[in-house]
Amino acid sequence: MNPRKYSLKRYRKFILPLIALAAVAEGAAIVCGATFDKLFTGLVNGFSFLGHMFPPDWTAFSEMIVPALQSILLAFLGTIFGTILSVFFAMLAASNISHKWVRNTVRFLIGFERSVPEIVILLLFIAAYGLGPMAGIVALSLGCIGMIGKLLADTIEELDSVMMESIESVGANKWQIINFGVLPQIMPSLISFTLFRFEINIRLSVLLGAVGAGGIGYELEYSFNMLQYHRAMTAVIIIMVMVFGIERLTATIREKIAGEGALR
Amino acid sequence: MTTIDITLPSKKFKRKTTIFSITAIVVTVACIYIGFNPFAIFSEFHFMRDLLAEMFPPNYETLTENSSTGYAILQTLSMAFLGTVYGGIIAIILAFLAASNTMPYKPVRMVVQGIVSLVRVMPTLVVVLIFVIAVGPGAFAGMLTLVFTIIGTFGRLFVDVIENAENSPGEAIYSVGASRLQVLRYSIFPQILPSLIASLLYSFDVSMRSAISLGIFGGGGIGFKFQLAKSVLHYKDMTAYISIIIVLVIATEKVSDYFRRRILGEGKLS
Repeated sequence: MNPRKYSLKRYRKFILPLIALAAVAEGAAIVCGATFDKLFTGLVNGFSFLGHMFPPDWTAFSEMIVPALQSILLAFLGTIFGTILSVFFAMLAASNISHKWVRNTVRFLIGFERSVPEIVILLLFIAAYGLGPMAGIVALSLGCIGMIGKLLADTIEELDSVMMESIESVGANKWQIINFGVLPQIMPSLISFTLFRFEINIRLSVLLGAVGAGGIGYELEYSFNMLQYHRAMTAVIIIMVMVFGIERLTATIREKIAGEGALR
Repeated sequence: MTTIDITLPSKKFKRKTTIFSITAIVVTVACIYIGFNPFAIFSEFHFMRDLLAEMFPPNYETLTENSSTGYAILQTLSMAFLGTVYGGIIAIILAFLAASNTMPYKPVRMVVQGIVSLVRVMPTLVVVLIFVIAVGPGAFAGMLTLVFTIIGTFGRLFVDVIENAENSPGEAIYSVGASRLQVLRYSIFPQILPSLIASLLYSFDVSMRSAISLGIFGGGGIGFKFQLAKSVLHYKDMTAYISIIIVLVIATEKVSDYFRRRILGEGKLS
């Protein structure tokens, strides 16, 4: 057999998974009701709808500034409280600080929290405490635990144990070990996780706002429901500027910290 | 006379305290401005207790007596799957067009990068609202939204992956007469494939979570069921749906983790 010929045998490793993938995708498309003609009519509808949204209603701009600020504050407070909570949880979930049983329980709790979407937490808190920024902040803070808590706990477990042991050998208690042995070492990763989470929280706060946490997301949803599409376009532009601005801001902070070296 | 040593606080300590106190002041002011009292969660915990009393025990009968639950789960799964597959394919194509070592023309790169950034900053809420209007509420709208989000999130990541690929194998086969396409196929593609597949598995995990949230905005699937149960205040049904959501998310996470570890661990997928 000519080895240079393209045979099925040579590409079997590619072709078979591709066929399986295509078959599953086809089945999934049937379940979703996704067809190409529906997509094309949908795209035509979508673009004509976008045409309806232009031009944005600039008179509504001034009433959108305060809700936008509220959204940013929501994300900010959620990130701050969430980081404090997750540092606490991460300490409990690291095997070199806490007891084995505590660690496993807390790890389970963190994994449990990770699997509940923020919006579900928000709906629960709205059902309990009513509409408002409070439910949003609590949902965002709890959402932080799942991500920052897990990443931070992994970071702590990977720390070099020499520093902690040397502090312990000269008679430090648990609190001093954490304060002088662990915290300075995890600070750079903590800051980078927090900044990353802040970006996610900005996006989430818009989404949560529509469900009832207030802010710019609520303005957008309200304008859509009232069929004031020009007003909605203003909100869209403000959100895009907000998300982009925050992204640039965190990138700048990150660069600055990386330039300064380890931040203590 | 005794001398008293006055140890001034070190510069580092001063800086630390300044940062800490400024943050504390900002947080307090922000809390007051927005009307958020963290202690209210505990002082008014009876609301939570009432809710939990309403929610438990979960009413699992609603899942069996209503045959559409299984279909809703299937819809959520296929939304996430299709979103990942199509979004991933489009993101890979865009990334090849935007990476400096695969696309020699700068204007094309700039345009594609601009498109990806625009998609990135487009809020999910807007996308889902527009798609619900365009194709009608249901799983299809949710799926299109997921495609959109995945292009935004992973387009930029894939560009970095492609640009980080090793150049020397490509140059080697280029020097013996391979065409540009052959360089792509035999040098760059095998290098990036494992990490592409790993990111796509991760994105399946992520889009599973977003699929549930999108359901609440009319995207169909289990999130829509949850929203329905919540809006008619059937809290016991809601608990049942939440438990299903948790099981679903954990299961997809474990599956995608398993495959990712296999692919990245073996590292021979070419």
